[in-house]
Amino acid sequence: MARVARPRRSRRTLSTLVVLVLLSVTIITLDDTGHARFFTSGVKSLASDVYSPLRRGVNGVLDPIGRFFAGAVDYGSLERENQKLQDQILTLELRKSTDAAERRQLAQLQRLLATNKLPSVASLSMVAAEVTAQNVSNFAATVSVDKGTDQGVRLGDPVVGPGGLVGEVVTVTHQTATVRLLTDGKSVIGVSFGHQEEATLQGFGAGHALQIDYVPSTAAVARGELIVTSGLQGAALPPGIPVAEVTSVRSVVGAADKQVWARPVADLDGLSYVEVVQWSGSS
Amino acid sequence: MSGRAVFRGLLVIAFALLVQMTVVLDVRVAGASPNVMFLLPIAAGVVAGPVEGAAVGFAAGIAADLLTPTPLGLSALVGTLVGFGVGAMSGSLVREVRGLPTLVALGASAVAVMLYAVLGAVLGESQFLHVDLAAVVTVVAVANALLAGPTVRLMRWALTPPAERSSAGGRR
Repeated sequence: MARVARPRRSRRTLSTLVVLVLLSVTIITLDDTGHARFFTSGVKSLASDVYSPLRRGVNGVLDPIGRFFAGAVDYGSLERENQKLQDQILTLELRKSTDAAERRQLAQLQRLLATNKLPSVASLSMVAAEVTAQNVSNFAATVSVDKGTDQGVRLGDPVVGPGGLVGEVVTVTHQTATVRLLTDGKSVIGVSFGHQEEATLQGFGAGHALQIDYVPSTAAVARGELIVTSGLQGAALPPGIPVAEVTSVRSVVGAADKQVWARPVADLDGLSYVEVVQWSGSS
Repeated sequence: MSGRAVFRGLLVIAFALLVQMTVVLDVRVAGASPNVMFLLPIAAGVVAGPVEGAAVGFAAGIAADLLTPTPLGLSALVGTLVGFGVGAMSGSLVREVRGLPTLVALGASAVAVMLYAVLGAVLGESQFLHVDLAAVVTVVAVANALLAGPTVRLMRWALTPPAERSSAGGRR
């Protein structure tokens, strides 16, 4: 009896596997296809809308416990962060005396922006948002924020944090949005530096340096130089937002382009609050 | 699977998802955080066999995919394959010997993460191979090995009929 039942059971087992694999592959294909993607992102948005209040409630209760464990595991990094903050305080104290000079410099930069007729981020509407989760997947550098379409956030909106550009909105629900950080491997943005030289800046994952592509070997770019969004016609981001600071420049003999690496000016690891710039609607 | 097992299985998946998206996300070691959603199909495969392992892997994967900015269906595919594989390879030995599910969770979680990265890259997400894969594999595998015991017990509660559960308890 068992001998008869075994092949039948084995067939059922295999057919279950085949059906589930085919179903998964179909969903992946639909998610990657233009028209169907609208549907799958709608389902994702709905799931997020249903799940977000639950997550907020649980977070309110469990956050202290999570932070306790995170602190216990990450004690070394907390110590480093503490040291970094103390260094920053020292630096700021040293800078106090040069505040007046910096204000003059800032005024000069503002005048320069006005001269170039670049739309300033400050002139655009912004939505302040709290970061509710960071890096929800090990394979994507993203943050979740507590503002969505109900507050005016739209797909593709740039997001800025203390210091400069943080990333752009890649999924949005009624009450939440997911922001793809500059460091994510899928992030590519148009930037400019020096005397209006244009290039693209690409992420390589959290913790990795940003790469600036298409920098001609003749271009004058130096370590410490500030890279800003280019804002070419039809660009996804407004011009003039500080993005990154050049950390290394390498010229290769015979190569048409320089190898340039940078780091984000915004502290992407310590984000608590960000501003969503309502740009996609105005472009 | 009975209706009762399906209901309890979904309940366990919803609970695990909540834990993953709240407490577990805050735990970051070497830039990587654990992923308990890969542990569910492994536990289901150990407790109930390949069909249940694959079904739980699919459902847990879809649930995780819905809340992450990664391709929808990719975790479901990996979960299905890993749950089925663990269920097919774990015989009664794994179910009976104490400590063996922990080793299975360690190895299968490592395989799941690598499979996820490779399949993702094949599907056009080449940035999946730019992450510190060694760190992610280690963190996920070790965390899942540590959590294997309670998760297997939870899956046994969800998927095993009460009569079988009490006889399994008696053997221990």
